[in-house]
Amino acid sequence: MADFLSQYSIQRWLEMCPQGYLENTVYGHSPELREPELVVENETLREESIRTTVQLVVGERCALAASSGLVNAAPDFPSKRFLATQTLDEARHVEIFTRRLFDLGVTEDNLESTIDNYANPHLVKFAEVLLEKVDSGDFIAGVVGQNIVLEGMAFSVFEMLEAVSKQVNPKFAETLSGTIADERRHVGFGENRIGSLIREHPERKADVERMQAEMTYHMLATFSEAFQGNAAATEEARSIAAAEGAGPETAVWHGTDLAAASPEDMEAVLADTVLGEFKTRLGRIGLEYQSPPVPA
Amino acid sequence: MNDQSEASDEPEPSRKRYELEETGFNEVPKKWRKFYRIWEGALDTLAPNEILCPVCKVVIRSVKEIRVGDRLYCMPCMSRLLVVEAEDGTLTTDVLY
Repeated sequence: MADFLSQYSIQRWLEMCPQGYLENTVYGHSPELREPELVVENETLREESIRTTVQLVVGERCALAASSGLVNAAPDFPSKRFLATQTLDEARHVEIFTRRLFDLGVTEDNLESTIDNYANPHLVKFAEVLLEKVDSGDFIAGVVGQNIVLEGMAFSVFEMLEAVSKQVNPKFAETLSGTIADERRHVGFGENRIGSLIREHPERKADVERMQAEMTYHMLATFSEAFQGNAAATEEARSIAAAEGAGPETAVWHGTDLAAASPEDMEAVLADTVLGEFKTRLGRIGLEYQSPPVPA
Repeated sequence: MNDQSEASDEPEPSRKRYELEETGFNEVPKKWRKFYRIWEGALDTLAPNEILCPVCKVVIRSVKEIRVGDRLYCMPCMSRLLVVEAEDGTLTTDVLY
């Protein structure tokens, strides 16, 4: 049973989220905040912002499909109830990041084509690996993939983006802050629920670890594509922002100043942080981190 | 549990006690907010009544000095934690599943 959920309830979720850190927000941020004018008006900056936000929408659509799919696969009612609240969290994330695309000038008619155009193919594959487990009703693999691998990655990506955005885009930073708060519960559920389940079903370790390696492969390929495959556009966007005085002066995250770091350095600190967390978190619940063959 | 420490029912006189104030942390219902704060990263210095949740990276704050053997609850991620001594002598936590 999921004893750690004994004090969790829909009421608790209401007090923490809608009546807590989301109170008085509109689409996850203070109502008066807007995207910076330069981001909306400069085509290079706007396209980079759209590209980044599309990856968030893709990831959150996957999380929505996974968490809702896991409700029926959950073996106990407390887990179903938690996953019901997570499903609404993920639906909210899809909505607020989609809303950001609209704020950046994407029209409703062009939404799906924009997502298709900018979605990182490795991130799409990452999602497919997870959803295959969820669709087969595999609760243990589904929760590890969703609440430890996907949410663990999202947690660090959101923290990094928040660090970069705090000075220059408070609207986006606030939006991210609320999603990070949600992710704390999601990783907590994943670790606590699987921590007990994997001890009851040690025979599942090998299969779950294979899935983790496959998802990690696609995650690292996503990071590589995002930072190195797109390095020229990223650097151009940063130069424009700096020239206009709209770039962050400093944005230190895990010892790296993201405002001055090269795309390679940014990729390295993100990958190191996420993989470090994976290893620690998986180790705590009795799983051994499996390195993907390439790219690592 | 409302002081987030489940180890002892009676306060130990030898432990330093702390008055907790709001830190701006708003991710739990209001009555428990003072027991947590956002972690500022690796350079963040923890007070003797504070410890980092290894699951969600929030700093848990107690009304008394934290010691080995204390059991703590992290409400933001619902984790139950046992305070243990790390190899370097500092305090850390094991997650109780």
